[in-house]
Amino acid sequence: MSILELRDITHIYNRTEVLGISALSIEKGEIYAIVGPNGSGKTTLLSIMSLGLRPSHGKIYFEGHPIRYDTKSLMAVRRSVTMVLQTPYLFNTSVAKNVAYGLRARGVPKKDLDKRVMEALEWVGLDGFGKRKARELSGGETQLVALARALVLNPALLFLDEPTANVDARHVHLFEGIISRINKERGTTVVMTTHNLSQAYRLTERVFSLFEGSLVTSSMHNLFSGKVLLTEEGPCFDTGAIRIWIPPGSESVEATHVTINPENIIASGEPFASSARNQFQGIITEIIDQGGRILLKVRSQEIFGLQITHHSLRNMRLTVGSRVYLTFKASSVQLL
Amino acid sequence: MESSIGFLWNALETSIRLIFSFDGEVYGIVLRSLGFSLSATVVAVLFGVPVGFLIGSKRFRGRSAVITILNTAMALPTVVVGLIGYSFLSRSAPLGFLNLMFSPKAVILGEFLLSLPIITNLTAAAVQSVHPAAIATARTLGAGRFQTTWTILMEARFALVAAIVVGYGRAVSEVGSAMMLGGNIRFYTRTMTTAIALETSKGEFGLGLALGFFLLLVVLSVNILFHYFQVRGRTG
Repeated sequence: MSILELRDITHIYNRTEVLGISALSIEKGEIYAIVGPNGSGKTTLLSIMSLGLRPSHGKIYFEGHPIRYDTKSLMAVRRSVTMVLQTPYLFNTSVAKNVAYGLRARGVPKKDLDKRVMEALEWVGLDGFGKRKARELSGGETQLVALARALVLNPALLFLDEPTANVDARHVHLFEGIISRINKERGTTVVMTTHNLSQAYRLTERVFSLFEGSLVTSSMHNLFSGKVLLTEEGPCFDTGAIRIWIPPGSESVEATHVTINPENIIASGEPFASSARNQFQGIITEIIDQGGRILLKVRSQEIFGLQITHHSLRNMRLTVGSRVYLTFKASSVQLL
Repeated sequence: MESSIGFLWNALETSIRLIFSFDGEVYGIVLRSLGFSLSATVVAVLFGVPVGFLIGSKRFRGRSAVITILNTAMALPTVVVGLIGYSFLSRSAPLGFLNLMFSPKAVILGEFLLSLPIITNLTAAAVQSVHPAAIATARTLGAGRFQTTWTILMEARFALVAAIVVGYGRAVSEVGSAMMLGGNIRFYTRTMTTAIALETSKGEFGLGLALGFFLLLVVLSVNILFHYFQVRGRTG
């Protein structure tokens, strides 16, 4: 069952359409990651979904009911959803009062309030931090307090905008653990934006890619910028570091980016005899277990991402540092 | 030379005697002065803080003009305020029937008019300095309009208190309007500043000096408090 649905959403800023989503459904109890480069519209989309921003056009449904943007109905829905901003703002008071803020807004009695604040701080591993001044915390601790402040409300839907963009590696790991735990133990639906694709796949298989305000079908693993060139051998896309063969007839497209679906790239230990025109050699830099599949990150002149099976990983005896050959067809290249 | 030093020494001796003998008139003037300024500041806070909040938090047509007027009003000479008050409150003026002229209420009104632009303007600046994310955060956490407003004021609390302290400082140290609207009537509208002006002109330098000490003490306290709240506002 979907908890949130977006239909024909567009958002216009300074007479420019910055977001255009024809349909997006968020299922209850799932984790969703929205990935995309800077300026792709991730934060705008999240703001619209969390009802902090009214879209220029389109409808949003919360638990099947259309959102009406009057104060009363907005307040009612906002009590079920909350959002942690990319750079969280902590009020100029103690950690405990920050965490208690939303509960006070909901009129929770003092006795319950103290207990819930303590529990929330325990959730994020900051028990004993209650009396500390919020403004004296480190970046990672600030993020965790902001997360505790959201978790204490036990929201049905939690939005996280680049939750680990400004924290160190230790806190990233902690954060990811908490997100998984609240989803599993409380059934909280989580929608997060990230520019870190590995993180997105570590948390969920439900990864959306956003590019220039639109959801794109292929993943953002292999998104390259550059320009289309017409050569004697046919049209190609020049990234500055490599040339990628693109489908004939697409040379007229004024594309500035291309993307290749990781599923369409073949990895082999030796050069692969094939009619596929794109062949690159590279070194594996990362192996990410996505549950059913393995995501390999390969550094060539550009960084490629590709998906293989657990079986292939074992058979090919691939490890970080292994040399591989990447092969994909020109028709696998999507021009953007 | 010797006689001028003697004059100063005598005045200092008199002032110290007046302070430590708890002279009724001196302390009466000090308490009256502090009371008038406090009343004026309280009324200025009641008007200035809500108006300052609106100016600081809303965008509307003519906002910059309002801010320019407030900036000008902040530096208004006290005698001009006295003149304006006089033109409204004197016997034949439009509000003359209220019989406020040369009364404590007239002094308070003058001090209110002087501290109001300061409190309004500094409140607007304090509210404006609150990070916009504070509002977004309050909303995402389910706060209503009133709670969000309260949150902004609480975030700006140190700057707000500093604004009130400065407003009080302006009220307590002014002389022009208190003289013109209060008339410097003994045991009734005489304040520290008007008494200092009068006693010095009469040659009663000792009394003037004693009141000057108190006035300096008040102004110094105001400045220390202002600095304290400014620093607290920056460091939290």
